[in-house]
Formats: sequence, structure tokens, C-alpha cells
Amino acid sequence: MSLKTSFLGLTIDSPVLIASGPASHDVNQVRLAEEQNAGAIVLKTACSDKFAHMRSWPRPRYKLLDWDKQIEGRSKTFSLYSYEQGYSGTLADYWEFIGACKKHAAIPVVGSIFADDAEDWIDMAKRVEQCGADAIELDISSPHRPGSLAFETTFVAAITGVVGAVTIPVLVKLGPGPEVLPQCLIAQENGASAVTLCNRLRGFDVDIESQRPILHGYFAGIGGPWAKYYTMRHVAEAARTITIPISATGGVLSGEDVIKYILLGASTVQILSVIMVNGWDSVKRINGEIEEYMQRKGLQSLEEIRGKALNAMTPPDEIVRWSGESKQGPRNFWKEGFEE
Amino acid sequence: MSTEGSKYPGLRPLPPDFVRDYPPLALVVEEKCIACDRCPPLCFFDALVMENRPHHKFKRTAFVLHDNCTGCGLCFEACPVDAFVWEPDKSIGKGPSKAAEKTERDLGV
Repeated sequence: MSLKTSFLGLTIDSPVLIASGPASHDVNQVRLAEEQNAGAIVLKTACSDKFAHMRSWPRPRYKLLDWDKQIEGRSKTFSLYSYEQGYSGTLADYWEFIGACKKHAAIPVVGSIFADDAEDWIDMAKRVEQCGADAIELDISSPHRPGSLAFETTFVAAITGVVGAVTIPVLVKLGPGPEVLPQCLIAQENGASAVTLCNRLRGFDVDIESQRPILHGYFAGIGGPWAKYYTMRHVAEAARTITIPISATGGVLSGEDVIKYILLGASTVQILSVIMVNGWDSVKRINGEIEEYMQRKGLQSLEEIRGKALNAMTPPDEIVRWSGESKQGPRNFWKEGFEE
Repeated sequence: MSTEGSKYPGLRPLPPDFVRDYPPLALVVEEKCIACDRCPPLCFFDALVMENRPHHKFKRTAFVLHDNCTGCGLCFEACPVDAFVWEPDKSIGKGPSKAAEKTERDLGV
């Protein structure tokens, strides 16, 4: 029995990846991820120089809403509301960062970039490849990205440009809606090696005492365990249609969630906010929970169950239905005693 | 600004008033700290440690390493007794930062 998973031509030790964010912002965290037996790590997204302002962060910028605040890794409920944007250093720092990650850790490192013009995307992607990253994720769906950039123009050009310019696998990280499946298909047609489903939503919260938006005063990224049910639907929909692998991400708290995503056809699962509320140990705990499940089900490899739940899906016209009315007829009469 | 009765008593939903002049840093009010060990593992920037305080009721308190603190606010969330407050970081100089300062990183791990 083994958690070994094949993803983008690499054999990784676990299907659990660390998602791009504050847990992948420095070299020491890459080492931590490796110690925890994470399969790979997606580094914090670097923005092109045009978005240099996104390298500076408002303070404060994190809020855990509706948090049950348990200790020792037992938190089950929270919403992570935040506005941390891109990697905080310059691009030169980022190239050096990728190199250092490769030097000090053996787990695969996925670079993550954001830009607008296709030339910037391509230049950055080439540098990510030169610096030794094992793959590259195009973060086209950040909840903090400028709203003026459209998928059909800017980001499709970015995908085609980058795919043509690098030889390492290209992951495309898509937003949580509304058109996830069509975007998956476009990413696939344009040569993406995999899709990451889904980014966090863009949300908003207001404080009723001060009567102002909380934190920095603008929309923020929002996600949490509740969001996994939306993502599971998107993963299921995509897995039935596209042939490229899916890296699922969103609201994963436990091994159970990872197994659900794999049953719905995901190849790997990215986690982040669970590390935030339940600590780095979460990675090891989740790996252990998957192993326990595999043992209980007699599985040698997760490949045996990948997409299994999709085959058991019932098309809407085959859902078994029973009449609720045939016994009595329509309930259109007043109950006795209720009449005036 | 009043945050009495706010839904967010610890962090306070809005940045501190001095944020236009100085970046805020977290500061532990040692008298309030109950040494619950909840905040150090939550900090993503290695800015929180527990330190010995022989004369403190709990013998230890959380302590913010100013050089590492990025003012993100997560420790305010973790704290069950609202022992965090903001303090202005006057080391950076007046005025909001226009771009992140290049910091020296220890790549030796």
C-alpha cells in the first residue's frame, strides 16, 4: 500500500500538495512541507512588475470568521477572509527563491505566476522553468486580481503563450465559477497539462458597530470547509469531461475530504487553510487518515478508486422517484376544525 | 473608533488609526496572556514565540518578534483572551510603504 501518486509525469509521495499562499512563501516552509510528507508545494504567486503594488500587503489582512477555535488540530469550522496578494519580494527574489527551494528540499516545487500581457506571462514562465521549478501554475483566478482582465482574451492568451514557451507542465488555476467546465475545456484545448480547481471566492464582510467594511475596506478572498461542496461539484463535472488531470483544492480539513476529491476524479488535492487553523501537523495527519482508509478498504493504490464515485452518479432522468400524492390525492382541503 | 460590542472584539475589524502613518505590528499585552500556546503555531511568519517570564502568573507569555511580524492579524484571531494590541512600527519610517523592502533571507535553512 502506498500513497504514491503520478502527477504531471512526476511520481510524488502523497496526493496532498501545499497550495499557493502564506504556507509557501519562504524556503523554510518548503522544508516543513517535505518533513510533513506533502507531495509537492505550489509556491506563493509572484506578480509581474506591472502589479508591483500587490507585493505590499495591508495590515491587518487576515480574519478567521465563524471559527470554532479548537486546539490541537480539531478545528472543523471557519471561513478564511483575507487580502494577502502576491509574493512580497521582487521578481529577482522570486527566481532566487525557487532556486533555494530546489536546493534545500527534494519535493517537487511548482512556481506560480500572475501577469496581464502575454509577453509578461511568457517571460516569467521561462524564468520559472530556468530556475528549476518542476511545474508552473498560472494563477488566473485569484480573488484579488483586477476585474478588468477577461478569461477569453487575457488569460487564454496567457495559457497558449506559456504552453508554447516552456517544456515543464503547466497547471491552470481556475476560479470557483460560474463557468468552470467551459474554462477547463479551453485550458485543455490550449495545451494545459492540468487544471487546479478552484481558487477561493471573492467575498465581503461588514462590521455593524463601526458600519464599515472590515479589515482593509475592500472585497477579500473567502474560503473554508463549507466551500468544498461547490468545488466537489466542479471537480465532478470537469472530471467527467476533460482528460487532463485535476488538482482539487478548497476546504480540505481531513483525509476524508481528500478521498472524496479522489473519488470524484482528482489526481491531487491542495491544502492550505487547514494548516493555518490546525497547524503543519495537519499534512501528516491527513496522509495518515488516507492510509487508514486504504487499509480498511484493501487498496494498494489510490488509482483503484480515482473517479469511482463518478461512475455511480445517477443522471437526473434516472433518479428513482416515488409519488407523494397517490395515497391521498392533492392536499388541497382544509383540515377539520380549522374551518371557520 | 468604538469597537465595544463588536463582533470582532480581538482584532477589531478595522486597522488601527495610525495605519496611515506607520505600519502596525502585533504586541502581546503580557498581563493578559494566559500562556495557552495557541498563537505561535498559527503564525506563518515565525514571529511568535513563548518566552519565560519568571514573575508572570503563568511563568511564560507569548512574545512578538518585531523583525518577523507582518501585521497580518492572525494571532489576534487565535487569542482567547484578546491579549493582542497593535503598535506602530516606527522603525520603517513614516508613510505607508510603496513597495516591499528587500529583506535579507537566511537561505541556509
